[in-house]
Order: sequence, then structure tokens, then C-alpha cells
Amino acid sequence: MKKLALLILLVATPAFAHAKLTGSDPAADAKVKTPKMIRLTFSEKLEPAFSGASLIDAAGKTVPLASSVAGTGITLLPLALKPGRYKVDWHSVGQDTHRMKGSFSFEVIP
Amino acid sequence: MLALARGLYFAASMLLFGLCAFGWLLRARLPMILPLRDQPLRWILLLLALVTGCAWLGLAAAAMADAMDRHVVAAAAADTVFGQFFLVRMAALAGLGLLMAIRRGRAAMVVLSALALVLPAATSHAAAASPAGFAAIGAMTDGTHLLTGGFWIGGLAALLLLWRRQEPNMLLALSLFSDWAMVAVLLLLMTGLINAASILLGQKGTASLLYLSVLGAKLALVAGMLGLALVNRFRLMPRGREVLIARHAAIELGLGLGAVLLAGLLGQLQPVL
Repeated sequence: MKKLALLILLVATPAFAHAKLTGSDPAADAKVKTPKMIRLTFSEKLEPAFSGASLIDAAGKTVPLASSVAGTGITLLPLALKPGRYKVDWHSVGQDTHRMKGSFSFEVIP
Repeated sequence: MLALARGLYFAASMLLFGLCAFGWLLRARLPMILPLRDQPLRWILLLLALVTGCAWLGLAAAAMADAMDRHVVAAAAADTVFGQFFLVRMAALAGLGLLMAIRRGRAAMVVLSALALVLPAATSHAAAASPAGFAAIGAMTDGTHLLTGGFWIGGLAALLLLWRRQEPNMLLALSLFSDWAMVAVLLLLMTGLINAASILLGQKGTASLLYLSVLGAKLALVAGMLGLALVNRFRLMPRGREVLIARHAAIELGLGLGAVLLAGLLGQLQPVL
């Protein structure tokens, strides 16, 4: 039993302290055709009341969209995006109550 | 401010738990020793835990939302895991106050003070860094770390109260504390090592120099406590040097409270960049 517990401690993938962005679709600096959704994945479970993201177009205007926060992810559902560069501003709070924020950009091509 | 509120909350709740637990142990094992006259101290600690607990919630809410108003605090209390545990902690402290007022339920006081102390472990760095996302593993080691630390420093405070009233059975009380504290300190060191390893080594990235420095300072204080405890246990106790033991215990308690305040700061720092 002790060996099993030690094995779990040694081989299991650890989570992070603080909810960091671990990936996104579209990825940062990617060039994509109009995405149906934008998905951000974090290193730990998020507090939905204090986590979110917004999409900003090349003119600096916030794009109206629906969004949801669940588990370790934030999903944005924009209406058809016109070609151009977009920036995603995100903020996350994990269960350890620490706030992280950041942004990344991607480009929609015709 | 947030680190200070955390540190003071932990200091108050650890002392409360230690006083309740060691007081209960004294009554059960050494009934010839009159009860600790620690009611005024317990009330002060309870009030401090309530005030700093609320300050902790308010400041954490402001940090989470990057803004501060009553709606933010209400959302932090109702809609986050930290807030829901905060409500349970406050209820436990209120229950403890009720029992202290009617002077009944010593065992229940131990349980309630333990709850108030241990619940923040559920949203700690150790819980977040648990292997494979099993937060319960980190929460349990961190909870054990808090409880054993609380027994150590709260027990020291109880011993100092006994010295102050010149308890005739002081050596018996010392011996009882020493037996239990040895187990507690061993568990404290073990869980501390596990927590530090899972937080610092289990993540990609570079360990933060600031985090390591504060952790080093905390370890230095704990090493000082441990040194004094060993001298007390194996050198001074067999020779009955009560006055020197009491002086060492007071220094040990001061070092312990310093370590707890640093632990409050550690919880707010990012361990790995």
C-alpha cells in the first residue's frame, strides 16, 4: 500500500498552483479560417464567477459573443468573424483564489 | 495586506486549536492539574480569527475580481469553493464561541477549532498541486501540517500559562506535551517536505526566487524551534531545569508565530514562474 501511494506521487502528472493558460484553439499567432468557437484551456479548475475572456478586433472594439466557463476551460462563441487580426484577453481564478490574466492573438484568413 | 490577514488568521486559529486540544488532553490524562485559565486568551484569539478571516475573504475577493464592492464579496462568499469553506469556518468559529460562553463541550471545541484551522487547506497551493489533480491528497497533507503545527505552538502557549501560575505538576504536563509534540513535529516535518516537493518540483518552470527565500526563512525559524525543543526534551527535562525550559518555550513560541506569518505570505506568492 505504501509503495502504491509512493508510486502515485512519483508518476502522476501534477496540476499547477495558479490557473495558467496551457493551450488554446485557435493557438496563439495561428492563421485560421473563421473559427466556430474559441476554446481556452487552463492548468486547473476555474472559478466561473471570476474567470472569463473577451475578443477584440483589429479596430480595438470588443466583439459581441456568448461565453461560458466550465471545468478547466473557457469557451467563446463568436458570430461569423470577418478576416483580420483578433486578440483574446483572458483572466482566470483557480480554486486557490489567485488571479492570472493574459492575452494572445490570432488571424482569420479568407 | 492579504498575506498578513492570512498569517494572522492561521496564527489565531492554530493557537486556538492547540489550546483546546492540549487543554482537553491535560484534563483527560492529568486530572490533578486544574483547568487552564485561558478563557480571556481564547476570546481574544477567537475574535482575531473572526476579524482576520473576514478580512481574508474581502481582500481575496478584491484580488480575484480586480475590484472591490459588496457584490464582489458576496459573489466570492457564495460562488467560489474558497468562499463556501469560509462560511463553514465562520460557522465553526461561531459554534466555538457558543461553547466557550456556556463552558461546555471540550471535545467539541477541539473539533470546531480543528475545522476552522484545517479547511483553508482545501484551497491551498498544496491542494492545487496535488498529483493527477487529486486535490484531496494535497489538502490532507496540508491539513495535517496545519493541525500538527497548531498543536505544537498552541501547546507551548498552554504550557506557558501553566508556568505563569506556577503549576506544581509542571514536569508531568511537560512530559505529556513532549510525548505528543514529538509525534506532531515528526508529522509536521514530513508533510511540510511533501508539500514543498509537490509544489516546487511537480511543476514545469523555474522556482520563484522570492518564494524560495521566504520558504528558506520559514525553514530557518522551524529549525530554531526544533533545536530548542530537542534541548528542552533531552537535556533540560531530565535535569528538571524548569525556568530555562520555560524561557526556551517562550522563544520557541515566538519563532513559531514568525513561521506562521511567513506561511501566510507563502500562500500568496507564485511558487513556480
